Amino acid sequence: MNLQEKINQDFSQYKTQANSSDAFVQLREQAFTEFEKLGFPSTKHEEWKYTNLKPIAEQSFQATCEINPAVHAFVKQSIFSTIQANRLVFVNGSFVQELSTMLETNTEIIIGSLATERHKHKTIFEAHFGKYAQVEGQALNALNTALLSDGAFVVVPDGKTVSHPIVILNITDSSAINVLAQPRNLVVIGKSASVTIIEAYEAMGTNAAFTNGVTEVYAAENAHVEHYKIQQQAGESYQNNFTQIFQEANTNINHVTLTLDGTMVRNNLHFYMNGENCNSLLYGLYITDSKDFVDNHTRVDHAKPNCFSDEKYKGILKDQSTAVFNGKIMVHLDAQKTNAYQRNQNILLSDDATVNTKPQLEIFADDVKCTHGATIGQLDEEPMFYLRSRGIPEDVARKLLLNAFADDIAEKINIPELVTLLEQQIEHKL
Amino acid sequence: MLEIKELKAEIEGKKILNGINLVVKPGEVHAIMGPNGAGKSTLSSVLAGRADYEVTGGTVSFNGKDLLDMAPEDRAREGVFLAFQYPVEIPGVSTTNFLKTAINEKRKYLGLEPMEATDFLKFMREKMELMEMDKALTSRSLNEGFSGGEKKRNEVFQMAMLEPQLSIMDETDSGLDIDALRLVSTGVNKLKDGKRSFVVITHYQRLLDYIVPDFVHVLYKGRIVKSGDANLAKELEVKGYDWIKEEVEAGA
Repeated sequence: MNLQEKINQDFSQYKTQANSSDAFVQLREQAFTEFEKLGFPSTKHEEWKYTNLKPIAEQSFQATCEINPAVHAFVKQSIFSTIQANRLVFVNGSFVQELSTMLETNTEIIIGSLATERHKHKTIFEAHFGKYAQVEGQALNALNTALLSDGAFVVVPDGKTVSHPIVILNITDSSAINVLAQPRNLVVIGKSASVTIIEAYEAMGTNAAFTNGVTEVYAAENAHVEHYKIQQQAGESYQNNFTQIFQEANTNINHVTLTLDGTMVRNNLHFYMNGENCNSLLYGLYITDSKDFVDNHTRVDHAKPNCFSDEKYKGILKDQSTAVFNGKIMVHLDAQKTNAYQRNQNILLSDDATVNTKPQLEIFADDVKCTHGATIGQLDEEPMFYLRSRGIPEDVARKLLLNAFADDIAEKINIPELVTLLEQQIEHKL
Repeated sequence: MLEIKELKAEIEGKKILNGINLVVKPGEVHAIMGPNGAGKSTLSSVLAGRADYEVTGGTVSFNGKDLLDMAPEDRAREGVFLAFQYPVEIPGVSTTNFLKTAINEKRKYLGLEPMEATDFLKFMREKMELMEMDKALTSRSLNEGFSGGEKKRNEVFQMAMLEPQLSIMDETDSGLDIDALRLVSTGVNKLKDGKRSFVVITHYQRLLDYIVPDFVHVLYKGRIVKSGDANLAKELEVKGYDWIKEEVEAGA
């Protein structure tokens, strides 16, 4: 059966088991209706102009999939296992307890599987779940909401700090068949609380894998969140990822997306500043090769005055790969004294690589400072000749220059293991 | 050491060098002067291996090897150094990392083990003191935000680190005030050891007050039209280039 047929089957199966008096179930039924109405977005949709989901939708999918024992070895050798962290491991969207690790000793802090924890913490779950990631008009969010498998549920109470990073490791295992994974994360950070979250995506197996993930992050007043999204899914991997970060006053969010592998990756990163004096930092780096495709759509909503946002996305493209950047900054009517910066810079290493970039500013306030810009080019010849004239061979010089280009983003990463991973990928890919 | 014979080069079909002949022996300092557009910078670019120029005739041998046949990095590793007229800013690459890479690539080329990190730092510290370099400059990105004078001093510092046999200095004096000029020249003079050679390309005589040449050549229309000793530079300072142009035109 194709993807649509699988989705229909999965949902009718879900409905036979679900208790429709549960608010959560009702939410999912509404989401499914929305998805049925919208269908998969086509390239005729302005927001999906360059991103074609057809290759995934046409794949054949089966109903279920057993967990492959080889996953254990895969997790063990993963770089994300080297980080001292609270680790939640999901395989094809399902939580795997025996592969997960918990270091946090404060029992007030919730770090666990959404499917289990939501029952234990019903009030806070219902207060936040589905409140930030929009379903109306967003087919893939609707799909995720209707058919989500599992994901991380993190709650940090007021004033608390999670002492180690939380790694949410998502693995698709397509060793036996094509797979569909729909992880769903909910992160609720209390007042003056802080946390570091690393969302990682890896893949094993040679069949196709489609990940359709949604993450909602709520940051109460004075909260501080470091959020990393690391995508390196090898093989035939497709991913659509939606993240909504909702900020109350005086919050600081540092977000970095690294897209290092994947056949097709579409990221939607939305920030909403719902209070004054927020800092929102959005950084991204994508390194693409072969015929890979990476699309970063970002949206920053300056809804209140006196907020600051800084966005920088950089890309290095090889072979026949394609990247899309579409960054929208919305400065609402009463968001005076907004400072918003946005840049997208790309280096093409091949004549056959393509970048489509569209920085957008929509400003309704009249006292703001906003800049945006985009560049697409090749590695400059002058620095190259300069390095070579000092005895550095061409390939070493190119690596030095590309590392320097990536360094801008690497310096925003406060986890040494992730910087190492990035350096390795640059070394390996370039 | 360096032997240039009948060197001809052009860029985009425009002939710039029309048969240069020059022999530089170990320990010698040669100044190449000439009016704007004479081909001075082209000569340095061709010797360093810049790709924009096409060599259409002649030969250049360096220690008996065909220099024109080598990639720019190989020329450098054989011992040729070009001090740029406009040193390039490279954000994200620290001067230290850059120099360590350059030195170790040269050592690899010569069949030597890479320098230990501590030995490298010690070596760099010595050269920094010798060149009176500000420590802060080496931890910053290569040339990024450097003043004109700092960039030129960084070129001479790199020269000290890479220990070339032949240094070609392309209008190192351009854009320097008198204090920076003195610092740069002092640096260069400290590197003279009787074996190293220098080709100093300049439009003005004032640099040659500090780096005293053994030979002065005047380049005009892509040829060396007059050679002499340091006094020729002084004569040019007083009389300008017009009399040379006239001599050449009359001869032609």
